[in-house]
Amino acid sequence: MKTLIVIKEQNHAWVRNAFPGIHPLLLTLCNKPYIEYLIDFAILSRSEEIRIMSDGSLGEVEAYCMNGSRWGVELTYSNIRTTDDITTILQKNSRFCRDNRTMVINGFVFVDYDKESQYDSIINTMPDGVIASAENEGCLILRGQERNPDAAPAPSPPINLESIDSIESYYRISLDILKNKSSQFVLPGYGNEPECFIGRNVVISKSAEIEKPVSIGNNVQILSGTHIGPDAIVGSNVIIDKNSTVTESIVLDNTYIGEELDITGKTAFQNMLSDPGTQAVLSMEDPHLLRSTQNNGTLSALLRQITHAITALTIIILLMLPFLLIAPLLMVQGKWKKRLTDYHGAGDKKVISIATGTIPNQGVTGKLASIFSLNRYPLLFRVIKGDLSLIGNLPAAVSDNSSAPDQDNMTHYYRPAVFSYAEAENWPVIGSDAAIVERYYMVHSNPLKDIGMTMKALINLPHKNTPK
Amino acid sequence: MTFHIDTSTGSNIGIAVLQGRLDVTNSAALLNAFPEWLQQTTSIIFDCSGLNFLDSSGLGAFVRCLRQTLDQNGDLRLAALASNVAMIFELTKAKQLFSIHPNLQDAIDSFSS
Amino acid sequence: MTITETTHSNIHLVALKGALDASTAATLAKNSVLSGNLPTVIDLSGVDFLDSSGLGALVGIARKKRAANSDTLLACLNTNVRKVFEITHAYRLFDIYDDPYTAAEELSKKISAL
Repeated sequence: MKTLIVIKEQNHAWVRNAFPGIHPLLLTLCNKPYIEYLIDFAILSRSEEIRIMSDGSLGEVEAYCMNGSRWGVELTYSNIRTTDDITTILQKNSRFCRDNRTMVINGFVFVDYDKESQYDSIINTMPDGVIASAENEGCLILRGQERNPDAAPAPSPPINLESIDSIESYYRISLDILKNKSSQFVLPGYGNEPECFIGRNVVISKSAEIEKPVSIGNNVQILSGTHIGPDAIVGSNVIIDKNSTVTESIVLDNTYIGEELDITGKTAFQNMLSDPGTQAVLSMEDPHLLRSTQNNGTLSALLRQITHAITALTIIILLMLPFLLIAPLLMVQGKWKKRLTDYHGAGDKKVISIATGTIPNQGVTGKLASIFSLNRYPLLFRVIKGDLSLIGNLPAAVSDNSSAPDQDNMTHYYRPAVFSYAEAENWPVIGSDAAIVERYYMVHSNPLKDIGMTMKALINLPHKNTPK
Repeated sequence: MTFHIDTSTGSNIGIAVLQGRLDVTNSAALLNAFPEWLQQTTSIIFDCSGLNFLDSSGLGAFVRCLRQTLDQNGDLRLAALASNVAMIFELTKAKQLFSIHPNLQDAIDSFSS
Repeated sequence: MTITETTHSNIHLVALKGALDASTAATLAKNSVLSGNLPTVIDLSGVDFLDSSGLGALVGIARKKRAANSDTLLACLNTNVRKVFEITHAYRLFDIYDDPYTAAEELSKKISAL
């Protein structure tokens, strides 16, 4: 028995608009990627091989699922044309389907199955054709060897199909899984009670309340005074700041929810809050929204600048000896490579040029230079000059459009610096993962904490550079 | 941004019609105009049917106006919020501070009961 | 790189074996069936390596045949070859089958239907 999963770009185009950056097949429903539901169902139907087909790119899915050994099934991939119909697709996979009963799952559909049910009997006794269908051309089809005509039709559990065609259906299906169907599927997370799924590395403050049913992903921080649930799905790499409430809602991966906020009946993704019912969308990037106190503005900024400058000066003095000894040696050895690049400056300063240097971590001098992070040493002078902060975000290059801060909102949040909060905390340094922890510290930092974080960065950076 | 007094229910109710966006660029204008309105009446309604965007500085202005009204023992009520504007209230618990009505007539009537 | 020509269902079937890269891509053009105007199925099951020049050669062949209203079908892409097609989005240009004989049969049916 083999399964063909056929999904065309047009079936899930809405996901690209609603949740940019997430591959639709890896979109999580109740913290389980969509494609895994289909794989689980195929395995439940006794499929030995599964082939995933699309008219779009499958690279990310392939990187995630690999060859299927994780589930004990053979997974292959192939591309089809947008205009191909089911018959053509079966022809294109004739070798795959040969001599086998084949099940075709077509469309971006959710298969409402039960892991306790036996599906192989339906597959073998039902006649060829469409055995379930849904909107938007979604369907489940059986083809292949003739069924055994002598076998009595087994009692078949119904297979319901639902097309996930909008943020509204995504929201409804996800919460339905959590509230009513969590026993039907293998959902990720640990919990000593049913209807409570909690991932790895989840830090929950003592004064936070968690009310089931709830599903929480990995690397999540739930701070004090918060109330999560009932009916809450929280993804991975999420921070829910103090005194906020998340109920009847889905918070997707890589999202920061600020203090004193009330998320009810919504979907939150990165900085966008959507109401599935009214289709209204709100950007949560507003600096005041994420800070409950009045913005002190210029006074705190000045204080921060002074503290950073003084700390930078202290570090310059402390590391002056190693720098003066090691840097000339590196330059002579030719290991000190500098490149002048333009980066976005803070606030109204448009562009600043920074000489970035990398030092290969080899040899005695190289290793010593890494320990003291000497490649960042010259940048410390820029802190005193005021171009850079001591700690904040890593500077975003002007040429790299994807990392350009959104000028309207990000000017409050973008502070190019010598070190970044993500480096200090040992989080992944690029992409949206870094944005989460950096956004958190932008709201919560104060000059004294910054000094502590800088020390942490100085200690953690060499470990990051050390080849494993 | 316009303001007029409605006397249809027998008492003076101030109705401010807000248009377009209320954000960091123009929320100060609302704060400057408000005290004058408050002198005319302490029952005020913000008609938000033409308001299509509100950010937190706009929200902050609303809250300041409400505080001033409450100090005068009056009330400031909101009418006809668009769904994206309503979201910012739902998000920040500002919803609990204001009396929000689906349309202008509803808000006017609420002052009589 | 070896080129083997056969026919199946009256359609030319060309099997390539070896690496299709800058050094071997040019040899494709010398083959009469590939550079001709007849509809063809190219069996890539023996191709273990494909780079951009190899891909370019295949695209060139397909384009020339398209100009003469002929189809070029590909069969049996292994993982490495498929990844190149994936990264370059070249899969949008071709109909890809997992069995060359089925591909030939389909092409034959299509032509007889015309």
